[in-house]
Amino acid sequence: MELLIPVIKISVVLGVLLGVVAYTVLVERRVAAAIQNRVGPNRVGWNGLLQPLADVIKLVMKEDIVPKQANRFIHDLAPMISMAIALITFAVIPFGDSITLFGQAIKLQIASVNIGILYILAMTSLGVYGITLSGWSSNSKYSLLGGLRSSAQMLSYELAMGLSVIGVVMIAGSLELDKIVQTQHGWMWNILLQPVGFVTFVVASFAETNRHPFDLPEAEPELVGGYHTEYSGLKFGLFFLAEYTNMVTSSAVITTLFLGGWQIPYIGLAGLPAFWVSILQVLAFCVKVYLLVLFFIIIRWTIPRFRYDQLMNLGWKVMLPLSVLNLLVTGLVILYL
Amino acid sequence: MAKITIDGKEFDADPKQTIIQAALDQGISIPHFCWHPKLSVAGNCRICLVEVEKMPKLAIACSTLVADGMIVKTESAKVVNAREAVMEFLLINHPLDCPICDEAGECKLQDYAYRLSVGVSRFDFNKVRKPKRVELGPNVTLDTERCIMCSRCIRFCDEIAKETQLVFTQRGDHVELTTFPGEALDNPYAMNTIDLCPVGALTSSDFRFKARVWEMSSTESVCQGCSRGCNTKMWVRNNEVLRLTPRFNASVNDYWMCDEGRLNTFKHVNAETRFKAPMIRKQQGLVEVGWDEAIARVVSELRSFKGHEIAAVASAFATNEDNYLFVKLMRHLGVGKVVYLPHVKRGDQDDILIREDKTPNSCGASAVGATALPEHGPLAGLLEEIQRGVIKALYVVDDDILTDPVAAEAFSRLDFVVAHASNDNGVSALADVILASSTYAERHGTMTNFQGRVQRIRPAVATAEQDRALDGFSMSRLDKFGSHNDRWMRGARRDARPTWRILANLAGVLGAKWKYATVEDVFAEMASTLPAFKGLSYQRVGSQGVVLPANQETPASVQR
Amino acid sequence: MDNPPSTSKSMTPDSQPPIIHKKDLSFLDRIYIPQIVNGLRITITQIFRPKFTRQYPEERWTPPPSFRGRPVLVEQNGVERCVACGLCARVCPALAIEVQGSETELLKERYPVKFEINMLRCIFCGFCEEACPEEAIVMSQEYELTFTSQDDAVFGKEKLLMSVEKLRDRLEFLRKNR
Ligand code: SF4
Ligand code: SF4
Ligand code: SF4
Ligand code: SF4
Ligand code: FES
Repeated sequence: MELLIPVIKISVVLGVLLGVVAYTVLVERRVAAAIQNRVGPNRVGWNGLLQPLADVIKLVMKEDIVPKQANRFIHDLAPMISMAIALITFAVIPFGDSITLFGQAIKLQIASVNIGILYILAMTSLGVYGITLSGWSSNSKYSLLGGLRSSAQMLSYELAMGLSVIGVVMIAGSLELDKIVQTQHGWMWNILLQPVGFVTFVVASFAETNRHPFDLPEAEPELVGGYHTEYSGLKFGLFFLAEYTNMVTSSAVITTLFLGGWQIPYIGLAGLPAFWVSILQVLAFCVKVYLLVLFFIIIRWTIPRFRYDQLMNLGWKVMLPLSVLNLLVTGLVILYL
Repeated sequence: MAKITIDGKEFDADPKQTIIQAALDQGISIPHFCWHPKLSVAGNCRICLVEVEKMPKLAIACSTLVADGMIVKTESAKVVNAREAVMEFLLINHPLDCPICDEAGECKLQDYAYRLSVGVSRFDFNKVRKPKRVELGPNVTLDTERCIMCSRCIRFCDEIAKETQLVFTQRGDHVELTTFPGEALDNPYAMNTIDLCPVGALTSSDFRFKARVWEMSSTESVCQGCSRGCNTKMWVRNNEVLRLTPRFNASVNDYWMCDEGRLNTFKHVNAETRFKAPMIRKQQGLVEVGWDEAIARVVSELRSFKGHEIAAVASAFATNEDNYLFVKLMRHLGVGKVVYLPHVKRGDQDDILIREDKTPNSCGASAVGATALPEHGPLAGLLEEIQRGVIKALYVVDDDILTDPVAAEAFSRLDFVVAHASNDNGVSALADVILASSTYAERHGTMTNFQGRVQRIRPAVATAEQDRALDGFSMSRLDKFGSHNDRWMRGARRDARPTWRILANLAGVLGAKWKYATVEDVFAEMASTLPAFKGLSYQRVGSQGVVLPANQETPASVQR
Repeated sequence: MDNPPSTSKSMTPDSQPPIIHKKDLSFLDRIYIPQIVNGLRITITQIFRPKFTRQYPEERWTPPPSFRGRPVLVEQNGVERCVACGLCARVCPALAIEVQGSETELLKERYPVKFEINMLRCIFCGFCEEACPEEAIVMSQEYELTFTSQDDAVFGKEKLLMSVEKLRDRLEFLRKNR
């Protein structure tokens, strides 16, 4: 039993996560099409619903090409690192309160780590390895430049990200994600308490996931495909999925830290049975996360990519001072109110 | 000397010259249809009108003799106007045939229509219709509508070919070119009228509709039909020779060549009978092998015979360089005598171009040290020696002695027969090794004609190892811009090599230290070692050839 | 064509969009957020606009006569009009055409024994149509070209011939706009 529950939790979360990721690819294509007054993929299955399956089959069937001068081992390893790290982060996200099943209270979180936030920060920083290594091992100038850009970008935004989280931590008084969600009951979502922190964190998340407008590591007009130029087939697929997984994971983190996680404000007043409350909370969490994912997607089709100097300016001259200021104000408010 | 001025350029001219000729000598080209430097003046086309000061009317440049102090204008408004009018008249009854006309692209009428005419017709009536597709003779097709009545063809037959066969009938715009009743245009030089005809009225029945002229590349070559060695151009498309035309050389063939040479000296190049690679006789018969294997086999066989057991036959069809290296290699093997077979057709000769000696290079073969076999029963001595068992091996270069029916029996007794051959005309029955040699259309080299004039041939067709662009071939537009996967670039290429290169390879395997990178190196060696070729070089040979020092004393009249 | 159309106005240097320097931006512009919100408003409203997509294999498009589809050979009274003059092959900038002429008993004397267009090379420029003295090669309205090999893409006479009735629209268009 001790072992069975975590295993079940892991499989369910992994299954759902991968499913969601696969369909997010489809959603992105459909949304992009809609924004451009097109239809998008609608041929495979009913309304294109089997498109992700077709994509996977295509990627698996494709030839795996490794450049002659590439470092074969690292070239193979890099996409795995990317994907694994994107998935692992999800382990500490609480996607619901606890639920009582068959007389047993089950916590709706895979691992309740008491330094959850640090874990998340650590994992996102590790993510850069996948990209940097792929860029280096491909032995191609485009890949290398993409990889380098990625490392620089991550370093620049990590600071802002870390600092904007500290505000939240100070309010919750804990590094444990579960605690942070618990404190956001009622109207007290951190987005309201920490508006500046929210904005800086969201921006930093975009940068960390290499999503538009911060997708300089794979800027097509300059770098062909960036760090994954020399990848094909399944390995390319892994990078591709990792990008979307990162997006979902980031959305989950933002939800947890700022949007009240699984909290539904004042649900207690409705007087529903505890079991159903838990179910609703999980659903609420999912809805919040997916709305954020949609936000990620729509942003991509709305604003153009930053220039490299603009990116660096924003990171060092705006984001960093802003998050330090935010920290200072938060500290003062907590101290004197 | 008469001092004249043409278009403001003053110079001295021979008073016996016409204006057109004097102008041409100065590089000024006056439009002309009926005038030809080697034909009498007819003066009937009127396109050559020029303005001569103090003359009341425009004069035709082709028949007006120059005079001292003459001032000629070829581009004045009056002249331009007159030419326009002449063009308009010429085009009144001319059919709109360019799309189906073989002359298109090298047609004087077309060129002048662009240059000298306004390009609009004011003629609203029906054109005069005349017979089309008339077979004037075995090789020439006439389209009467296209004829502009310049009479060049008639004058050629009368004055150069010396056979009166063509004539005009009717008058006015109904004039028609035709042959005399019961005659055909069948003199041995008839096809020169095709080149002469400024329009597409006379066209070649052989080349008819084969290609458009702009699709082909043209390469300077020398005809292989007889020992005159008429200078020619070889027209190639898709690695296939499509036609030969004569090239001007005042000391050899003027503007002409004979029909026999024009029609029958290139067809073997594209023939099905070509050897595609070297071949060796094994149990199952002749099989294609790689060059290294074939040469190794020849070397090991040759080594097993003594020099006097080998009969070496050079060729009057091969180049000087080929024969020279053959003689050199045979001496290296200790062979005493290198012979070649004469191909003479007694009686088949005239005082125009055609020669009795039907090989292009017998003069050269002798000059490099090969001996001609007697004209009658040439193989007798050789056959006898084979019968006696003195000769055990035979090495033939680029000649077809193996196909002689009388000799076949004797040849079958030989222990070893090796032949350089381009086409299978029976050689494969007897030879033990066939070294696929390239044809004259695929080689560089020189030929020496009966006057002792050394002339160059150049490759026009590529073999498997050649590349048109890299090896300096002349290239058509398709060659330049097509790529290897285009269908028109897939013309057959054979793994054949020029004889000199095969010999050089052989010598290398035999251990001789020869160093020839190109055929020009061979010629340079000939020029320094053979007194006959002393001081010659490809540069001096040029496009018009150069006479061997020994033959230079012969007066030109005897040479013709 | 009498006058080539003058180059469009927007290309002239004095009508280029003005250059905006960073110092000219207002504070709101500089913090990006209002602009981003504005952009989002535009993209999101686009989502609900009608779509332009044509569901291709089911809904097909009939091109107007001015359309340059794949070049075809005009067939009249059972034979091609072409006389194998090779002008189309000469003018073709892509060297897509190969023609081999030969003798025919018909009045036109000459016909193409071989006429091939490499559809992988063709760029649908219509020069062949323009050069042809016989109105024998025209741009059809067919735009569906798929092959499974390089050799399939070389269309011979059997695939190129199209009856004159089917090409009426195009021929009329050509005559009108000569
Ligand atoms: S003779 Fe010259 S002008 Fe006349 S149809 Fe032939 S190519 Fe055209
Ligand atoms: S056939 Fe040719 S050469 Fe003879 S008269 Fe006519 S145009 Fe002149
Ligand atoms: S349309 Fe243009 S590219 Fe195509 S065959 Fe005709 S000329 Fe060539
Ligand atoms: S231009 Fe016209 S007539 Fe000439 S080959 Fe081409 S299609 Fe035939
Ligand atoms: S060239 Fe002088 S009249 Fe014909």
